[in-house]
Amino acid sequence: MYIFPEGLYVDVRIEEVFETKISFKKRELYEQKVRSNKGAFIRVFDGNRWYYSSLTDLDYIQEAIDTLAQMATPNPNIMEHPIVKAFEVNKDNIMTYESQSVSSVPVAEKQKLLEEYLELLDHPEIVHHTSYYVDNRTVKSIYSSKGTAVTFDKQTCGIRLNLELSYGDNKDTVVVSKAAVRFEQLKGLEDEFKKEIEKSIIFVKEAEPVVPGVYTVLLSPEATGVFTHESFGHKSESDFMVGDETMKAEWALGKTIGQDLLNIVDDGTVIGNGYTPYDDEGTKGKKTYIIKNGKLTGRLHSAVTSAALDEPLTGNARAVNFEFEPIVRMTTTYIEKGSRPLKDIISEIDNGIYVETVKHGSGMSTFTMAPARAYKIENGKITTPVKVSVITGSVFETLAEVDAVSEEFELMSFVGGGCGKMEQYPLPVGFGGPYTRVRKLTVQ
Amino acid sequence: MDKEFITIREKETAVRVQNTKVNAVRMKDIVKKGVRVYKDGKIGISGAVGDISDEALVHNAIENLSAGIPYPYELSGNCKDYRDYGKQRISSAEIVDYGEEILAKLRAEYDDFSFSEGFFTNEVTIQMKNTQGLDLEYRDSYISIGLVIKDKKSANIFDGFLGYYGRSFDMEKFWAFNEEVLEAYRNQVPLPKGDTLPVFTFEFYELQKFLSRSLNGELYATGGSIFSNKMGDKLFNEKITIKQDRDPANYPRPFFDMEGVVLEDDSYTLVKEGKLVGVYTDKRTASNYNLPHTGAASGAYDGMPTLVDAPLRFAVDSDDIKAALNGQMAVLVVASSGGDFTADGSFAAPVQVSFLFDGERIIGKLPEFTIRSHLYKMLGDDYIGTFKNKHLYLGDGALLQGYYMTIA
Repeated sequence: MYIFPEGLYVDVRIEEVFETKISFKKRELYEQKVRSNKGAFIRVFDGNRWYYSSLTDLDYIQEAIDTLAQMATPNPNIMEHPIVKAFEVNKDNIMTYESQSVSSVPVAEKQKLLEEYLELLDHPEIVHHTSYYVDNRTVKSIYSSKGTAVTFDKQTCGIRLNLELSYGDNKDTVVVSKAAVRFEQLKGLEDEFKKEIEKSIIFVKEAEPVVPGVYTVLLSPEATGVFTHESFGHKSESDFMVGDETMKAEWALGKTIGQDLLNIVDDGTVIGNGYTPYDDEGTKGKKTYIIKNGKLTGRLHSAVTSAALDEPLTGNARAVNFEFEPIVRMTTTYIEKGSRPLKDIISEIDNGIYVETVKHGSGMSTFTMAPARAYKIENGKITTPVKVSVITGSVFETLAEVDAVSEEFELMSFVGGGCGKMEQYPLPVGFGGPYTRVRKLTVQ
Repeated sequence: MDKEFITIREKETAVRVQNTKVNAVRMKDIVKKGVRVYKDGKIGISGAVGDISDEALVHNAIENLSAGIPYPYELSGNCKDYRDYGKQRISSAEIVDYGEEILAKLRAEYDDFSFSEGFFTNEVTIQMKNTQGLDLEYRDSYISIGLVIKDKKSANIFDGFLGYYGRSFDMEKFWAFNEEVLEAYRNQVPLPKGDTLPVFTFEFYELQKFLSRSLNGELYATGGSIFSNKMGDKLFNEKITIKQDRDPANYPRPFFDMEGVVLEDDSYTLVKEGKLVGVYTDKRTASNYNLPHTGAASGAYDGMPTLVDAPLRFAVDSDDIKAALNGQMAVLVVASSGGDFTADGSFAAPVQVSFLFDGERIIGKLPEFTIRSHLYKMLGDDYIGTFKNKHLYLGDGALLQGYYMTIA
């Protein structure tokens, strides 16, 4: 297909993207956009340095390969280089969504579905709303000079209702959303949305400022997902560890960092926003236990980090789009479910905070989570809604504070947004888990 | 039928760094084109990445008219304005050389740290033209440096940053400042005593975001803003003036909005001497809610003009940080990721990276702590001032802002 120059490793990633965005401001149609774009990212490696190029005219891929090759220094032993040796060679074609593509659903049908949900928004407390239907179907093809030739598709769609609430001097911005992979899955969500809207209205009317302090915190599946992603997920991305002996020692495989009940997984095969049947350098998606029974058992890798740390590939080299190179990223990351009913876990909390929904989170040495809706837990019961700016904890200590995970379990995806790492944002990821109890977190 | 064309051309060379060595060079040359057509009070949009013909895009935009999206507003027109802000275009080869030179010194003299991320040179051209005589072009070129610092003895993902953005670059000034910064990273110092300390920030993202949301004309008019019904009220310290700012000298972005509006002095005052005097609007919001039009439309090159997050800038109101501190030591925040305001204005954030600061020089690295305040306190009685950045070589347009905050 392409002529790969001698003495160099080359791979080519081609992305064909179909997207729809429909939005309403209140009841007025505001935007209806359908677009189809193509682009490619090319990498050339000479054993010493990588050379990258991104382009939008696919007719120029060979020219771009040749231009990058001129910048590189051919290496007769390139195939013996540890990174090149690490690359899997796969040949595959997985078109999961061809027969149920969002591109074959008429745009009028998508608009009608969104309009139907606007009926739910007639409340005096909802002073403004902007609502979206979005979808994306991406077909990726990856070819390498080692022989990889894989093509697969991914698909997501969703409804997102951005609500501005006002009740006297109390204001709030609320997002009610549902992500799916097939258009049909977005139908019949009235009851789910209605329940969320009603909870948000009660929250804006009744929420009190939280008394800052250290609390036992119960996390919903959504909050567990953000907590897992921020408190530990980023730590498991091994590009942070390459060449860093202190990090390698601190996060040595086999180290105990949580109780036996704690199992954390990253799985690119889970359907949803994090679905990565092949990563962006052609490695097959895998289920990786990062923590098993409280012990550190794995890390997330690209070929570069796999070779550097002499650990197996995990299929986590991902790029946000065709303009960027793949770097180590999460796919769908979650805590595995436990065996205890939620009601039993709540009943053991005398004075705590329940975090139900989350605006955003971050994870450096201190991880953070900004709750959208949080509640007091008093004497084993969820009671008064509370306004919380931020919940924080040390990434080095917090996982050891997890002392209960529920049998109830849910995986999910956000509609819009995603994970950010340096210049690459937003990358779609999946997340979730059980209800999780953390003995001590700082709440402000 | 009127037609409007938006073209964005972005060229970038990125020198990617890992473990204080160049590990990759990335080149990008991408064109994005958008077309809008206007007919009978309706708008149709289309767009594509790549050098697609105008005819094809116009055809798609005309098809999009059938969606029936209203746009009964007068088009911007009869305005030709070409501006080029790129003073010193830096080539791909030069940025690689700059990167190699800086990394060689870091490897030789700062081996206790490792550095990653990269050096970037960008050239951008953004054009907006229409059949009503609008002909705008913004050209710019700049370099940016973003190096994540990792202390080799630390188990953190990262421990700090070196950064620069600007249209020209002076290696001597870069080192004069960053040697001080790197020495400070080696010098761990305790927090000054006291529950309340002067805290300085460069770009306080959470504050900008909260103000931008609260000064959105649509949110204001519909009652969802914390400032709703407060037009003319004194909200903040009387030193504070906040403008909607589109001056590319302050930040590399076009001097026109996504409806082709060019403001006098590239700015519009929203808060004057602490008093709320305006909220930002696009044509639709100004018309629907009978508000002054401030030319604040944003949006994608191939999308509808919309009203989200207008660029805001505090006017410089103070001159000398050291004099304002009156001998007290301050905290200079470098990274406070993850904090937020509640809807009623309470604020809390963990500070991951900060320095002890005497108003001119960076003294040493502080431990992690938490800052807490409220919008009306930090921009009210606890406000210290907004200062030109005279001593820290961080690039074009950077300001320093200070407030007293509760430390925990």
